Amino acid sequence: MRRVLILVLAFFGAACSAPAKQGSVVIIGSKAFTESVILGEIASGLARQADIEVRHRRQLGGTRILWRALENGQIDVYPEYTGTLAQELLQMPDADFGALRAALAEKGLAMTDPLGFNNTYALGMASQRAAQLGIHSISDLRGHADLRFGLSNEFMQRADGWPGLREAYALPQTATGLDHDLAYRGLANGALDVTDLYRTDAEIPYYQLAVLDDDRGYFPSYQAVYLYRLDLRKRAPGFVQALNGLAGRIDAATMQSLNARVKLERQAEASVAANWLGIDAPTRSGRSSRIWKRTVEHLALVGISLGLALLVALPLGVFAARRPRLGQVILTTTGLLQTLPSLAVFVFMIPLLGIGAKPAIAALFLYSLLPIVRNTHAGLSGIPRELRETAAAIGLPSRTRLWRIELPLALGTILAGIKIAAVINVGTATLGALIGAGGYGQPILAGIRLDDIGLILEGAIPAAALALVVQAVFEIIERLLTPRGLRLAARQ
Amino acid sequence: MFSLSSVSKRYATTIALDRLDLEIASARTTALIGPSGAGKSTVLRMLIGLEWPDSGEVRFDAELLQRERLLEQRRRIGYVIQEGGLFPHMTAAENVGLLARTLGWSRQAIAARAHELAELCQLPIDAMARYPAELSGGQRQRVGLIRALMLDPPVLLLDEPLGALDPIVRFELQAQMRELFAKLDKTVVLVTHDVAEAAFLADTLVLLRHGSLLQQGSARELIDSPNDPFVHQFMTAQRSLADLA
Repeated sequence: MRRVLILVLAFFGAACSAPAKQGSVVIIGSKAFTESVILGEIASGLARQADIEVRHRRQLGGTRILWRALENGQIDVYPEYTGTLAQELLQMPDADFGALRAALAEKGLAMTDPLGFNNTYALGMASQRAAQLGIHSISDLRGHADLRFGLSNEFMQRADGWPGLREAYALPQTATGLDHDLAYRGLANGALDVTDLYRTDAEIPYYQLAVLDDDRGYFPSYQAVYLYRLDLRKRAPGFVQALNGLAGRIDAATMQSLNARVKLERQAEASVAANWLGIDAPTRSGRSSRIWKRTVEHLALVGISLGLALLVALPLGVFAARRPRLGQVILTTTGLLQTLPSLAVFVFMIPLLGIGAKPAIAALFLYSLLPIVRNTHAGLSGIPRELRETAAAIGLPSRTRLWRIELPLALGTILAGIKIAAVINVGTATLGALIGAGGYGQPILAGIRLDDIGLILEGAIPAAALALVVQAVFEIIERLLTPRGLRLAARQ
Repeated sequence: MFSLSSVSKRYATTIALDRLDLEIASARTTALIGPSGAGKSTVLRMLIGLEWPDSGEVRFDAELLQRERLLEQRRRIGYVIQEGGLFPHMTAAENVGLLARTLGWSRQAIAARAHELAELCQLPIDAMARYPAELSGGQRQRVGLIRALMLDPPVLLLDEPLGALDPIVRFELQAQMRELFAKLDKTVVLVTHDVAEAAFLADTLVLLRHGSLLQQGSARELIDSPNDPFVHQFMTAQRSLADLA
């Protein structure tokens, strides 16, 4: 068992120390929403123009993951907003750009000048209705106490959302919380008068909304910028220059229309970005080759993590059954691992394993331990006492007892545990897309972002099918491995 | 062959053995008898190291029973429990040959020895290819016995060996076992709750109560000169059909 442990540690050690990226490839990241992916594609397009080999790790699961990945050099560039940078990432809410740049430089990072749009919160109305009432700014709302506000739930709850806004402008209205997409439809059919929106939402021109002027400057500034690693200036000076050249070139209306072409007209982000840059779009692979590629990725995630889990969990389960007191510690620990939220595990893994398949495999490995350890333990402790004692009393050495008596008798339970781990693993592996591990989670994430059921199903159906196949395979294995004597005994 | 001196054992609140002194002679058959909870199974389990005394010592062949030497000591003892204690995932032949294989015996040697013992124990040879679930209770018991005799150990321990058998099979096996013990010339220690069976199979009876030795001797001695009223009561407590007459 010790040898197995050393092997596993060695594997992870090798994974940790492996160079994070090869040669001069520039890696661009983007967050899991359309605007960020488009900005990521624009940066990719610029890199290709500058003849730099580039890789876009699209729609990673959240600000934290991108920030840690940038700090650790797993990615080189990603689009961010100054508000998020100041308040969440650097926690310097009142800092000016100079202070932000200085703080970034300390971490070996830099940011471009603002791209030209401010994607902050705003309030919007149907433009016809706003014109009727003569409303142009948020202050103008004060005179119309009967206006119906329908605000997104997040905006309702944030202290710097509705509660603060209401106080700052002394607004008399009350608001109800609802889903963002429903709010747009409510405005369109007149069921609502005012909602919150992001300044660059594609829906603004589509639903003909008027964005009310924040005349008291309540909303913080969310200027779009690119964050990049300082070493990129040496590695790809032309590319950094091109990135900086984007400053001031994308205004809110431009961003709105780029968003709209992806979200409303269902064009691919890469081709929208390339079109705007005036370059050729990279060729897109067909659906079946996409599904094939993701199947390979998904199987690799599941197979490697499950294989490693077997190497560790089986010995652990045997050990737990043989040493009941330490066994309790092992069972509790693996149980605790199970309760860790996957996103938290991913963020925790970035400094160790970077982004991509490795941290996803590590997380899946941790999640697979519990069912296997627990069932191995249960299978071994469930062997009738007289059989265990007889095996000892007739003078069999402990190794023979384990391999020839105990493991075969516990096999059914152990295999059930492995099957549970494998099936759960297939489902959980879809979350790997949050950290750039690919697999079936990729189209699911994109489908959710684009509100495209077809795309979601492109990931969800193969994932469900794979889970069924895995289940069937394990049932066949179980049938083949169960000794005939046990099948006979079970029938009696 | 075995000697227990001042052995005590307690489980939580109950005392299983209370400073028990006991000598078990070699090359003879000894039956441990007594009411439930008398400690007879505990004594047997101590002889093979499944239980350890809280105080006192257990000697096997004049040597202290030691955890470090247990494996080697156990291989000089054959052990059979009710129903044979066979491993359900192995055929009778695999059950019988497991330990010998572990010790590096050749396939032929194992088969030959198993064949010889099957004849001795009157097990049909084709039964060796079957799984325990395919054998009758009496056959399972015989396979258990064959497994215990495989290495030709000087000692045979039997814990309620005939407990789960129906009366006719049991009657038959009792007769065969007596014959077998006589042929083998081994030290046999068995636990039974059936006084008649003990008297039939064993040269010496050991009557235990509350974890203490009440009397040790031949069945005749225990019946004719009991050294405690309980001995007499216990030896005559079983009903026979003759009572009906």
